[in-house]
Amino acid sequence: MALAEASAPRPGLARPPLGILLALLWIALMLFLAVFGDFVAPQEFTAMDLMARLSPPFTEGHWLGTDELGRDVLSRLIASIRVSLIIAFGATLISAALGTTLGFLAAHFRGWVEQAVLMLADFQAAMPFLILALAVLAFFGNDLTLLVLLMGLYGWERYARIARGLAISAGAQGYASAVRQLGGTPRRVYLRHILPNIASTLIVSMTLVFPEVILLESGLSFLGLGVQPPMTSLGNMVGYGREYITRAPWILLSPAVVIVLTTLAVSSLGDWLRDRLDPTTR
Amino acid sequence: MLRFLAVRFGRALLTVALVVTFAFVVLRLSGDPATLILGPEVPPEAIRAFRESWGLDEPLWRQYFSYFGAIASGDLGNSMRDGRPALELVADRIPATLALTVPALLLKIGIGIPAGVYAAMHRGGPIDRTVMLVAVAGFTVPSFVLGLVLVMVFSVQLGWLPSGGRDTWLHAVLPIVTMGVGGAAILARFTRSAMIEVLGQPYIRTASAKGVPWGAVIRGHALPNAAIPTVTIVGFMVGSLIAGAVVVESVFSWPGVGRLLVVAVSNRDLAVVQTILLLVAATMVTANLIVDLLYGALDPRMRRGAGQGAH
Repeated sequence: MALAEASAPRPGLARPPLGILLALLWIALMLFLAVFGDFVAPQEFTAMDLMARLSPPFTEGHWLGTDELGRDVLSRLIASIRVSLIIAFGATLISAALGTTLGFLAAHFRGWVEQAVLMLADFQAAMPFLILALAVLAFFGNDLTLLVLLMGLYGWERYARIARGLAISAGAQGYASAVRQLGGTPRRVYLRHILPNIASTLIVSMTLVFPEVILLESGLSFLGLGVQPPMTSLGNMVGYGREYITRAPWILLSPAVVIVLTTLAVSSLGDWLRDRLDPTTR
Repeated sequence: MLRFLAVRFGRALLTVALVVTFAFVVLRLSGDPATLILGPEVPPEAIRAFRESWGLDEPLWRQYFSYFGAIASGDLGNSMRDGRPALELVADRIPATLALTVPALLLKIGIGIPAGVYAAMHRGGPIDRTVMLVAVAGFTVPSFVLGLVLVMVFSVQLGWLPSGGRDTWLHAVLPIVTMGVGGAAILARFTRSAMIEVLGQPYIRTASAKGVPWGAVIRGHALPNAAIPTVTIVGFMVGSLIAGAVVVESVFSWPGVGRLLVVAVSNRDLAVVQTILLLVAATMVTANLIVDLLYGALDPRMRRGAGQGAH
């Protein structure tokens, strides 16, 4: 609390710092590649060119080099960005929706529902997610839908705690009880009135969870237990490139750089948004 | 105090029971291990015999309760691959994992906490900026990328250190550094913000206003209060002594529990995966329990408040 007092007065809608602008630029580039990747990629990401195996970067026609089967690293990188971002987006949305719903249910019903949600949240926070995910994934097989759903369990407990806490305090405020007394259904109160009021906090949490999901997915794929070939993801490429670390380090370097820059960009954006938007941070 | 302990202990047991349930549900309902282990071309009699010997054809609730019973008596089943007791198989790997994670933990604490405290006390200075920069990098660079970059530099380019395996103590250097650096960065970030928060409190101002020397204010007032959130993170790190090595052990082909887990998961070796899950849960729960006790020691309010709010 004392920190907020000590910091300079809010500069209103002043221009974001340079770092944040760069982060936004990078995120925009990634989104562009995720959406229009098929049109931008120089080649089909599975296309093999056996005459040009393991060519180094800046080779004519293969600007980031090729891998052991002569597949263009840049094209594979774009395809990987696409898959990794789709998984991370899908998972973040699922986890936010799930967590918020559970948080609202806990705030609305209190009693044993609340206790059960809190207990599950404690459990989720206490167990290393990678271990749980490893168990589930390998035993149910490797399916993209399942992977997204599983990643969608990551971080739900944070939204649930936030949504519960804020909904309880909103319920005590005038606007929520006013709608209730006008005859609004609980659903209307929560979705139309409380949700918009706590959305900024939830969005900030999403930007903070998103990079963790990217790291988690790439870790799983790196271990060979996430996205499966012929599909490719950033972690997959790193895992594959490890076999060629001495002869063709470029195979793993470019996806590694993308992972690092993307998590860095999204998490610094999240930190910046939190300082700016979130009224609950101290 | 006794009630506080009882509540905590009850919760710990509940968590373990939840993990057991989770393991059971996920691992037993997800598929048929018999066909997977034996392959599709095996005659049905062989499959039936296999299922019988593993108890896979009993009703699920029966399997569930006998599973609880078996765990209570210390029987965690045999590895489906080589028939050795899963517990034995996992226990064999624990020393190798601890040989990495314990030094890594010491490295995290030894670097992370002093760096965080120093950065908080010299906020905005060059050291603070460096610590924050490294801390952000430590969070955004995944351990497998860091590990591989270290391999590239120290094994491939310089040839100083081996890139994988476990023959000499030199093999442990890169994995330990890989784990330690990332963790130290996270710990430094937490310690720094805990310390900054504490330094802004009125009691710090009061203490220095009444003439207590600054060093004594830090030692007597700031550090003990900043210790509370820091202990939580350290507790989590202690809890992941077993689990924290999955990725790094795989990068460096280190024959520990994490590597075993990855292999067991790809082979659908149920008993081994279950054993590791339980082991991870048990370490996590024990570490949390210790953290709760430490809270009680560090913060007298916790002892009176009977356990609520210690998150």
